[in-house]
Amino acid sequence: MHKLWVVAKHEYLKITRKRSFLFGTLAMPLFFVAIMVLVIVVMVAGEDQRPIGYVDQAGLLIAVTSLPPTEDDGPNPVELLAFANEAQARTALETGRIQAYYVLPADYLTSHDVQLVYWEEVPRGSAQRRFDRLVRANLTTSLPADVAARAQQGIDLTARSADGRQEVGGDSIVNIFVPFFIGLFFSIVVLSSGSYLLEAVTDEKENRTIEVMATSMTSGQLIGGKALGLMAVALTQIGILVVTIVIGVMIGAQFVEALRGLSLPWSMLLTLALFFVPTFALIAGMMIAVGSMVTETRQGQQIAGALNMLFTLPFFFIIVFFTAPNSPLATILTIFPTTSFLTIALRWSLTTIPMWEMVVGLVLVTVSAICMVWAAARIFRMGMLRYGQRLDLKSMLRAVRTGAEG
Amino acid sequence: MTTPTAMVSHLSKSFGAVRAVEDVSFEVYPGEIFGLLGPNGAGKTTSIRMMLDIFNADRGEISVLGGKMDEAKKNRIGYLPEERGLYKDLKLEPTLIFLARLKGLSEAEAKRRLPDWLKRLDLYDHRYKKVQELSKGMQQKAQVIATLLHEPELIVIDEPFAGLDPVNTRLVEDIIREQQAAGRTIVMSTHQMHQVEALCSRIALINKGRTVLYGEVDQIKHSFAGNAVTITGQGDFLNVPGVLEARQDNGDWRMSLAPGTGPQDVFKALAARDGIKIERFEIAEPSLDDIFIWTVQGRQEPNHA
Repeated sequence: MHKLWVVAKHEYLKITRKRSFLFGTLAMPLFFVAIMVLVIVVMVAGEDQRPIGYVDQAGLLIAVTSLPPTEDDGPNPVELLAFANEAQARTALETGRIQAYYVLPADYLTSHDVQLVYWEEVPRGSAQRRFDRLVRANLTTSLPADVAARAQQGIDLTARSADGRQEVGGDSIVNIFVPFFIGLFFSIVVLSSGSYLLEAVTDEKENRTIEVMATSMTSGQLIGGKALGLMAVALTQIGILVVTIVIGVMIGAQFVEALRGLSLPWSMLLTLALFFVPTFALIAGMMIAVGSMVTETRQGQQIAGALNMLFTLPFFFIIVFFTAPNSPLATILTIFPTTSFLTIALRWSLTTIPMWEMVVGLVLVTVSAICMVWAAARIFRMGMLRYGQRLDLKSMLRAVRTGAEG
Repeated sequence: MTTPTAMVSHLSKSFGAVRAVEDVSFEVYPGEIFGLLGPNGAGKTTSIRMMLDIFNADRGEISVLGGKMDEAKKNRIGYLPEERGLYKDLKLEPTLIFLARLKGLSEAEAKRRLPDWLKRLDLYDHRYKKVQELSKGMQQKAQVIATLLHEPELIVIDEPFAGLDPVNTRLVEDIIREQQAAGRTIVMSTHQMHQVEALCSRIALINKGRTVLYGEVDQIKHSFAGNAVTITGQGDFLNVPGVLEARQDNGDWRMSLAPGTGPQDVFKALAARDGIKIERFEIAEPSLDDIFIWTVQGRQEPNHA
């Protein structure tokens, strides 16, 4: 056991100290931060900070004329200016003193009509909601304080599935896309770890170190240590991504309205965490087998590229998930070992995935992973001592069947 | 009777249709340097790999350090394989520490022992270089360190002098002798017969997957000595009765004797001649090189029974 950890630590440090790893791992968070900064700059620089006027012909907006800033207003709440008549408001609009003005007509209480007059662009949503709150505040002055507060707050609808596993809040449309991003990150991180693992195995072959390894530990300890080290690498990458994204979203939410209602789908994260280990082990087993069969990393990468497709297949069926998230194809991809993780991530926000599908998927991916790792250990033992020779399919099957080296 | 440190008995191993080892047997005793000889493809490396549990034998018995090979015994063995290799893109010092840790050494102990070895093998100034930046000879010496740093009881070295210049060959030779003097058992596979003669007390010669010669070096040489004598001296050494052939080689005379003629008969005949001065007279023993070639090529020294 001790040697397994020695190998795991060695592999982890070997990869994480590489410049290519630092670049590859930090590139995506930096890209994310750059996009976030760009969005914030565009949003803030493009925000019209000028006041919004209003003409109260209905005589309603008297009791409350100013509002305290709220979280919804963002860092720059727009000022609301009262005008005695529309001519004055129009002059202010034409001279650019205000960005727009509302007209509350005399028959507002019966017609409920409100006019918004603007010059070039409709004021941003938070500015419009600020005026909306001003109207509500004045309309509810005669109500008890708690009733008034509730009326001003408006409705907050959350749609929840009968079993409580699935819920869609009204806060932000962005929540629907969170599982998609998680699926995307998984694919990038885990598949890149698979590539590292392939390299780690072929490295032993190319460097001719396998005999020394074989006389120092079991092949199980060697490949187990490598896989464990690379899983730690994957988790490090995920950790860096998650921390960057969380910080990015927290900062971004100060400026970007769409990010304010963002919440993490914890039940989905927990489900995916259950699938992560067996899925990673399955990829690891495949990469070890491929690495043991080929003579150099480049050959292995070609085969690994084809195998990676098995894991990223669900991306090609996104349209199917949107249009028919409970179709037979979606079910098959949910229970198929290589596609279950990503399919669950992609379907999560679109439907309530039946529990049986996830249980069957988890069992199948776990059993497949165990079988794959077992077979990989046998192929590894046979393939690694064949310096400069590619292991053919026949020999590979014999190795799996008998465990023999020759 | 002393229990052998390593014993293989009637080993055989096939790879598909290829029979790599047919019937190999030998025993290695504590504190000895045992030579495993044989031409390319004879089955030496495969036999070593089976002995060290890298390959499973199809048939035969193996005993290492008092029984079947297990994980704990791996820490008591140092192996320098024929297929040399170190992690090329890693620095030398961490690589050697990592390999020592895989042999059960703590990091602190490995760090404590390493500088002396690096200095002795003239690698200390290169310890922070990547392995791929070292010369082939330096990499070879680094692997010698990796084989010995954990102070193994059984040392298995496959072609330990390949790629070394004469100075480093001498250095490695000295290290091997020191290891033996420290009580360690050494199995050395090599083609270099003069190294075998200089270092090994016993050998096994493997040819076509079988042990064809096995025993003490002196006895084997003696058994191949046959009916020949080597003489150093002055005078007429031609036409001696009972001598089939007399030829001069580097000033010495080598005489092949006819069946029924013994060295004593030749000595007497020469002593009876006038003008003969004998400085040295000895029964000619063939070199291990000759024995190797005769055995591998299926020829025997003319008078070897």
